[in-house]
Amino acid sequence: MEKSEYIKKLREAILSYDAEAALRIAKDAINAEVDPIEAIENGIAAGIREVGEKFQRFEVFLPHLVMASDATTEAMKVLVDAVPKDRVGAVKRGRIVVGTVEGDLHDLGKNVVVMMLKAAGFEVFDLGKDVQTNVLVERAQDLDADLIAVSSLMTTTRPYQRELVEELDRLGLRTRFKVLVGGGPVTKEWAEEIGADGYGRDAMEGVAEAKRLLGIED
Amino acid sequence: MIELIEVAERARTGPRLEEMEWNMMLFRKMQELIKEYDLRCRGVEEFINTDDSLADDAFRAACDFIVDVGAYCISTNRVIHFDEAEVKKAVREAPKQVLMGEGKDARVFRQGQVDGLEPININPGHHAPFTEDLGSLVAKNFAQIPRTDFIEGFNLPAVDGRDIYGQPLEAYAAIREVAWMREGVRKAGRPGLAIVLYPITTRASSLIAPMNPQLGLRPTDGLLMSTLPDVKVEYDHITTAIVFSSYGYFAVNGSFGMAGGFCGGPEGALIEGIVRPIIGYMTYGDSLHYTGVEHLAYVMGERIILHPINWARSVVYQALCRNTNLIYMDWNITCSELCTETGLLENAIRSVEATVNGAALYAPRVSRAKMNAGQTPVEPEFMIEVSDATLKAKLKRAEAGKILQQIANQLRGRSPEKGKTTQECYDLVKHKPSPEYEAIYHQVKKTLSQHGLEFT
Repeated sequence: MEKSEYIKKLREAILSYDAEAALRIAKDAINAEVDPIEAIENGIAAGIREVGEKFQRFEVFLPHLVMASDATTEAMKVLVDAVPKDRVGAVKRGRIVVGTVEGDLHDLGKNVVVMMLKAAGFEVFDLGKDVQTNVLVERAQDLDADLIAVSSLMTTTRPYQRELVEELDRLGLRTRFKVLVGGGPVTKEWAEEIGADGYGRDAMEGVAEAKRLLGIED
Repeated sequence: MIELIEVAERARTGPRLEEMEWNMMLFRKMQELIKEYDLRCRGVEEFINTDDSLADDAFRAACDFIVDVGAYCISTNRVIHFDEAEVKKAVREAPKQVLMGEGKDARVFRQGQVDGLEPININPGHHAPFTEDLGSLVAKNFAQIPRTDFIEGFNLPAVDGRDIYGQPLEAYAAIREVAWMREGVRKAGRPGLAIVLYPITTRASSLIAPMNPQLGLRPTDGLLMSTLPDVKVEYDHITTAIVFSSYGYFAVNGSFGMAGGFCGGPEGALIEGIVRPIIGYMTYGDSLHYTGVEHLAYVMGERIILHPINWARSVVYQALCRNTNLIYMDWNITCSELCTETGLLENAIRSVEATVNGAALYAPRVSRAKMNAGQTPVEPEFMIEVSDATLKAKLKRAEAGKILQQIANQLRGRSPEKGKTTQECYDLVKHKPSPEYEAIYHQVKKTLSQHGLEFT
């Protein structure tokens, strides 16, 4: 099979949410000496980007993003391992810890952001909902994350986003992590008020902000 | 109804499942049920479902979901199972009416009727963010609307000037919220009007804190205790339900299906919109349910989306009306902001829809409401007028659907309009809209009259 055919099939595996096929084709591609970076960018990333765009147009739904993300994860396990050490920087976009703040059980918006960040090629660690500030900070440190993204859907839980910024400051970690905030009652003005680095009105804006904050140009 | 402690026990001992596994299982089951029951919009642009057998099929799909899959407790990561007999009993035994408030302000809130002729019940306000300085004044304004049956509290950014962090402040804020509401309804001359606590957080401590027959939540008041999206429940609500069950109260459940989320598209969302009121009753004892179907983009205030979401919503209401005693409400959220023509047109569409589907009206507000910019008394008063006009014209579903299509044509291709804050377009002291808002209101009424609605 032509090398371009492997890349095409990788993209198709993502678009058909087939994790098994994605893993199998990724292995075959490596065995056939396909450039793993090309396979990632033109196969995997292209596929998941297309799923993300379909979601934005509401042609597919959150479960499709999850399944596409699962297929991506399977293939990436093999492909990233095959990338030469001196070129790993080309495929690693950044590590992001995400959670809904303490006291808040809303997570639909956060789930969409998680999937769209994954679709954009970030390594995302979803801590779930009702996450205490100290847990967000500790996990970010353990994972050596680049950015902490927090969501709040209730006006009354919004202050925990401020608490996160203050806690990072107190621990001398403020410049270590970028802070991105979002959620229903969250506004750009609020983000500025609390000293967050970025604000996303919706998932797409959140992804654009993450890229901006981590210096990624597409 | 299953005992609450039995529900708690099942939440503790049910089969373990990771949350994402539950989410994907829900999606797959919904897809299976949609296919099995052929749940789809059969008319190209049918705004309101007129196929009763479809509504009944949707109800059966929802019952199958509950019996085959159950509900998920996020506190224990376990599945709560119910059997068919329990589900059938619940939908039959749920109260068809709730007595709320006291004295001269007591009201009966009841299940409406599809194509019915009775005026619908209404909660006109809140479930929107207001600062504490407006607390009792806002409550007074909404309580002054004569048709108000109950009023819900509001989201607060701070209390006594402090950010609300941690359980002590949350409990204090909940107590203050109810105190302001109580003061507001008294100032409106309706001291016995039922108040529903809007949760400061969903922690049991802040839900229970305002329980006080003299100064806080009375046995004739209520709590907002919603099931979570994707058919999930949690311990704090079960705990609160257990505490309040011997006190006396009524509980309100936010229970709509969200198209775009884990339930899938509108067809999956309509199943969820039927499932969650049933689960809310069975797990928390909820007796009022604002349900139906919403779209992710609509709730985020991004796009005005009508068909097929309206159609899916109508299936939910009809399924509940035809097959259960559950009291269902329409949560009217608008993409457009206050003091806009498109905002009032969105309100009008939802009011006509709710009326012909027998849904009560619940807290109209801007979907992505900013602080002190979520609602004014104009919207619910306007929606009551539209509802009454719908009843006066004796509109049934099919005719109402055609009128809605005409109104929807005016909204087609239009982006949500930016608007004003509450106080920029409404004088809360004098209880009257600004001249600009009043002019928009009259213009929209004129437009609706041209579409066949007769206002008194």
